[in-house]
Amino acid sequence: MQQYLLSLLIFTPLIAALIALFIPSSFEKFFRMIALVCSLVQILVLVRLLISYEPSLSLQFVEQKPWISLDLGSWGILKAQYFVAIDGLNIIFVCLAVFIMFIAGISSWIINKNVKGYFVLLLILNAAIVGTFTALDFLLFYLFFEFMLLPMFFLIGMWGGPRSEYASIKFFLYTLLGSILILIVLIGLYLSVQDPDQSARVVHTFNLLQMTAPENFIRDSIFDPANPWMIGSLNAREWGFLLLFFGFAIKLPMVPLHTWLPDAHVEAPTPVSVVLAALLLKIGGYGLMRIAFPVFPEAALGFSWLIGLLGVISILYGALNAMASKDLKRLIAYSSVSHMGFVLLGLASMTTEGVTGSIYQMFSHGIISALLFLIAGVLSDRTHDRTIDHYSGLATKMPAYFSIVLIGFFASMGLPGFSGFIAEIMVFLGAFKSNSVNGLIHESLAVISTLGLILGAGYYLWTIQRMFFGKFHVKGEDKMELLTPLSAREYMVMVPLCVAAFLFGIFPQLILDWINPYTEHFVNTILDTGKRLTLNL
Amino acid sequence: MQSLNEQLTGITESFAFVIPELVLTAGLIVVLVAGLFNNNKNKLFNAIAFLTAAGSFILLVAGGLQTNIMLFNGVLQRDGFGEFLMLLVDLSVGLTCLMSIRNPEGRHLSEYYVLILSVALGCHLLLMSTNFIIAFLSLELISISSYVLAGYSFNKSGSEGSLKYFLFGSTASAIMLYGFTILYGLTGTIDFTSSLFFDRLIDDPSPLLLIGGLMGLAGFLFKMGAAPMHPWAPDVYEAAPVPVIAFLSVAPKLAAIGVLTKLLLALHLFGQGEYDWQMIIAAVAILTITIGNFSALWQKNPKRMMAYSSIAQSGFLLVGVAAFLPQGIHFMLFYAAIYLLMNFAVFVYLSYFEMHGVYSMPSFAGRGKRFIWASVGLTVGLVALTGLPPTSGFTAKLFIFSSLWESYQETHKSLLLWLLIFGLLNTVVSLFYYLRIPYFAFIKAGESPEVEKKGGFENFLGLILVVLIVVIFFIPGLLMSLINRINFVL
Repeated sequence: MQQYLLSLLIFTPLIAALIALFIPSSFEKFFRMIALVCSLVQILVLVRLLISYEPSLSLQFVEQKPWISLDLGSWGILKAQYFVAIDGLNIIFVCLAVFIMFIAGISSWIINKNVKGYFVLLLILNAAIVGTFTALDFLLFYLFFEFMLLPMFFLIGMWGGPRSEYASIKFFLYTLLGSILILIVLIGLYLSVQDPDQSARVVHTFNLLQMTAPENFIRDSIFDPANPWMIGSLNAREWGFLLLFFGFAIKLPMVPLHTWLPDAHVEAPTPVSVVLAALLLKIGGYGLMRIAFPVFPEAALGFSWLIGLLGVISILYGALNAMASKDLKRLIAYSSVSHMGFVLLGLASMTTEGVTGSIYQMFSHGIISALLFLIAGVLSDRTHDRTIDHYSGLATKMPAYFSIVLIGFFASMGLPGFSGFIAEIMVFLGAFKSNSVNGLIHESLAVISTLGLILGAGYYLWTIQRMFFGKFHVKGEDKMELLTPLSAREYMVMVPLCVAAFLFGIFPQLILDWINPYTEHFVNTILDTGKRLTLNL
Repeated sequence: MQSLNEQLTGITESFAFVIPELVLTAGLIVVLVAGLFNNNKNKLFNAIAFLTAAGSFILLVAGGLQTNIMLFNGVLQRDGFGEFLMLLVDLSVGLTCLMSIRNPEGRHLSEYYVLILSVALGCHLLLMSTNFIIAFLSLELISISSYVLAGYSFNKSGSEGSLKYFLFGSTASAIMLYGFTILYGLTGTIDFTSSLFFDRLIDDPSPLLLIGGLMGLAGFLFKMGAAPMHPWAPDVYEAAPVPVIAFLSVAPKLAAIGVLTKLLLALHLFGQGEYDWQMIIAAVAILTITIGNFSALWQKNPKRMMAYSSIAQSGFLLVGVAAFLPQGIHFMLFYAAIYLLMNFAVFVYLSYFEMHGVYSMPSFAGRGKRFIWASVGLTVGLVALTGLPPTSGFTAKLFIFSSLWESYQETHKSLLLWLLIFGLLNTVVSLFYYLRIPYFAFIKAGESPEVEKKGGFENFLGLILVVLIVVIFFIPGLLMSLINRINFVL
């Protein structure tokens, strides 16, 4: 049983989607139930998995089955595997994915148009996300990665707001552009890497772990570290890293490649926004940590100034845009851009603190941004109006809602006691320390990025002041009565997120224990391999 | 020089190796004669044509793609590479017959199938040719038959498309023929795989080789619909009946790329020539992909869009050739097979939608819910053409671009890198128009008029193709093991 836990986690939603396909579309309740049951099964599997998970460096729950093995004649053999496993990096992302999909499933009960299609797509998306986080074979990873696009395209396009057509196509084109950049490197990498366990013939492998070892590269192949091959003024490996970096940075999203995000968020229905912000953005950061950095460590170190700089720009630019946003969802979307900048800054520092902070930030942002989009959803479900200036004095009318908003906003601001604080403080520590430990990025970046916190406090407090204080008023005559108190379902989805934001802010050790062995090892390997490769060249 | 007796024995013995072609010829004659008695029996002609193609297909499979033999005293050459493409041609004849079971026009029915079979026969012969004259003759057999087929909708625009095709086509043939004469003049032989051809060109380099070679290739590029010989495609595609377009977008294209590959490798002279034909074909591929994709962006008619799409797909086929590696040729064959599946899947569904009165892109609005299976199937077909997983369109693109990477790695020619980058970035562009139909069908609101649902057969046929497209993604070995048996020799 234990060796199939991960497959169970990935394929349960697919099976549920398949069952749903054959149920007549008039049974609307059934589709909600099947999504819920699927999430509950996933949670059970996850609990079982966490019980036997041990924080260590080794891979756990490994499933490694041959998938494609193609004889290509003189070229050797092309080998792709169904290779999924859990380690210190993806464990928390898998937890986050299962948890958020559960929340998104429940909050999707408001959907009442074409319910069947919606839940089928949501379940497929669920499988693809879990698959992306667990795959350790590049081709399998890419398959799941691309598999997210179409469901997401239709979820935004078919159930979204008035400009959803524009937003969904923009989302698709941007993300596809990113994945094409990744595909170029994918092809180059599998041509360059051979499976060390088989010596009789050249076996081209997609195994991500084997790609990280410089000795597995075939001599004189394009990404061979010993190959001093220049294309323009950079060598092939530097190009490879940049392509991967920008490919994943579109997903993250990083300024200036972020413009799809506000549009997609504003137009998407609330649960889809939740999934988009909490999970899909994380795949960008996860991809950097899983693929770009370990495979091209020396290039990653060489470009850390650029990564750090772009991170800081994202933090400030995102925050400034959030401040100028008139639409509540757009504000939250830009705050996401700002928060994702911290992930880049932490990674650029390549210190244990910084990288831990990056992972922690992704986890914490997953929880907080889900909460924030649900908060925005409460208003837009009632009045279909998210313009900040159209509301005032909501605190008196909806006190319970107001307290949840306070938690969400303060958590996102990075106030001590919330998970965001832990994450950001660790990123700052790492960024400060970097110059003295490994000399990768300058302290000034850390100093400037703290401005992001101040700006964050600025736009959140200003929003609270505009929307919740003062005399109760809503623009539009008949809209005042629409603002009913929170429903039980809304409590059900938002309260767990509030609890999580607190819990991981007060007891960060819960997660740090899991990821620490991994991050230490990650940082040391990147620094060692990176330096070794740089010196050899 | 062989004695007359030896030559005659050679000829009689050769007949044993052209049985598939003899079957095609026999089927063609049977349909033609049957049509003289009663020209309204669509089902009968269809069955005969289908069985003929099936017979030829089975004979080819039974041969195991292992033959490699010169026939008729060196005029024809039969090899696994050509036979695989012949298989695909026969398959496309079969699929076209299945699509034509409901022939709405009902005029000149037997001729319709005769023309299809003669195109197939021409393709077979073209794939066996090693000789300029045979290549020209078989290309004309394909061309003349397809000019007539293109006009088979019997209306004004059909005649216009057909006439345009004819005018462009005859110019292209003339140019090609002129190129052949230059090559003949340079080498003194019409057999472009003979050692005489290579020796003369290597010993005696001449700038005329470039001109003659380019002109000679032009005819094949025309048949493939590759830039700069592509402008005929949209008009023909828009006017002709859907089964005809599906057929013309596959069979002649694959035959042309087969012989183009051989001629190109001959002109390349094992890399000893003065001109770098790899660069030339890479440039053609870049041009074709870019022109095809960017022109497709503005199309409002699904058939016109598919015309530009098939131009772009020709470019991707050429990428496999441009790698100039044996593996690249194998991958090109893989791509060709997948291309056949994808293109037929899309056209089967387009004809299904035409049955229900959906002709332009905006009229797909709101159809997604009403024709859910057909819309989903069409979407999968279009996604495969874009080259996204989990469809074998992705596998095919992955393979041909792998061979291109490999080629770049070996030669360090920067144009190949540009082709790689351009080709892949074009995928993003192509998504924009491939998604337009699903976009209208699913996302754009629109009322679908209550129409009687028919065409269950088309729906089923499309489903089979779509399932194949997906299955080959997960088990590419199914197809690749067959292709791996082919030993490509010039």
